[in-house]
Amino acid sequence: MAEPILEVVDVRYRYPTGTDALCGVTFSVAPGERVAIVGPNGAGKSTLLLAIAGFVPATGRIRLGGHTLNRATVRDVRRHLGLVFQDPDDQLFMPRVGEDVAFGPATMGLAPEEVHARVHEALEAVELEGYETRAPYHLSVGEKRRAALATVLAMRPQVLALDEPSANLDPRGRRRLIGLLRALSTTLLIVGHDLDLIMDVCDRTILMDAGCVIADGPTSAILTHRELLESHGLELPLAVAARQTPESPR
Amino acid sequence: MHHEMLDHFAAGVSPIHRLDPAAKTVAALAVILATVLVGRDHFRPLILLAAALVIYQAIARVPVGYTARHLLLLSPLVLGIVGLFPLLEPGRTLWAIPLGPWRIEITQAGLVRGGHLAAKCVLASWAAFLLMATTRFQDLLQALARLRVPRVLVIQLAFMYRYLWILADEVMRLRMARAARDGGGGPWGMRMRSRVDLVGVLFVRTYDRAERVYWAMLARGFDGTMPATATAPARPVDWAFAAMTVAAALLLVMADRCLHG
Repeated sequence: MAEPILEVVDVRYRYPTGTDALCGVTFSVAPGERVAIVGPNGAGKSTLLLAIAGFVPATGRIRLGGHTLNRATVRDVRRHLGLVFQDPDDQLFMPRVGEDVAFGPATMGLAPEEVHARVHEALEAVELEGYETRAPYHLSVGEKRRAALATVLAMRPQVLALDEPSANLDPRGRRRLIGLLRALSTTLLIVGHDLDLIMDVCDRTILMDAGCVIADGPTSAILTHRELLESHGLELPLAVAARQTPESPR
Repeated sequence: MHHEMLDHFAAGVSPIHRLDPAAKTVAALAVILATVLVGRDHFRPLILLAAALVIYQAIARVPVGYTARHLLLLSPLVLGIVGLFPLLEPGRTLWAIPLGPWRIEITQAGLVRGGHLAAKCVLASWAAFLLMATTRFQDLLQALARLRVPRVLVIQLAFMYRYLWILADEVMRLRMARAARDGGGGPWGMRMRSRVDLVGVLFVRTYDRAERVYWAMLARGFDGTMPATATAPARPVDWAFAAMTVAAALLLVMADRCLHG
């Protein structure tokens, strides 16, 4: 097996209030893998993402793209982890979409022509060509989501980490996002409840509850396990449920 | 939810819209400074300045009603200050209003002084407004950066512009959520209280958002400096416009000083 691109070993974090948010999470991701992290609200999924990006002071070992996360390497780790936040209005903070997408490459110190090329490439990848001078405020939710994705793609991260990528999207916007995600060749880490999206995009699923990893395996095995999902506040994806109970409800 | 943007007409096309934002900023500053420096009670230079702004507005095709509406928004502020002048300035009394043991006297000199100050306020805001109406806010920010305005200030303005409307949306949502439950009625004390609570909630939400935005910036390598963006260089016509406006403003102030002492 190839050298893992992301290693998370015994990561623990306790909220300042004393509640355990992560209680010894361990897993590793191989290059090119598409991994979903699912679980009920408060399972610690988003906190785990923040811990990998070095935003919450968790203990344990996190290794990403050859860098072990510590105070000295946190900038390198963040550079290789493309983290897309849940609310695109948090992600898009510059007055214009083009400037926002350019922010990452420019802070990396790339030459202006290279920055320009990256912006173009990233906007093209999310089907937002020509949006450079648009103000984020005037975009639809779907466009904002895709623009937020572009801001991170422009940095060419080794691992793309998305927090609830389909939240608030209408079915068309969601469908489009699924298409985009499937077309990416980057290693993916998707956190969320949209199990149908995960069925479509991810080959592996990690189920978390109360800060712990409950199950880790092929998406096709975990997301079809009704008892497992239901005992952790989830339910079968609609596509699976429809297959398992062919008779229509009365 | 959408709000009328500050720079609603700024995306228009006119020779003025095409001018370099930095040149326009310098010109607007010159006009504002000239307005401020016009001597007490001198109305003629103000009329000239107003004429210049009318021409500018006509070339830029900014609707008159749009301008008037925005200038009116400032009127409470202007009236609040200017309204006191007729009462405080000594001079020939035009009207006297008895008010219990006191008498309020409105003087002619006070009216002139107040009117002059009001005209100055309107002209200065008008000039600033026309700059906003013909320059996209983002371009204006870049112009400010080029004019050596401290970077921190420019960045703050950029964030304000980016998040002002999101904040406004948030206020609207909170108010609708409240109105949906109390129908906008209820005893005065309770309404005031919920208003105060709303401000508190807004503060907490804004604080949370600021933290998330900061994290989003850090996640993309923010190290305390904002990357500069490339801008189109100024053309000779931009320089000429700025230089001519500054010269005209200077001439006006000097003529005003010399002719009226």
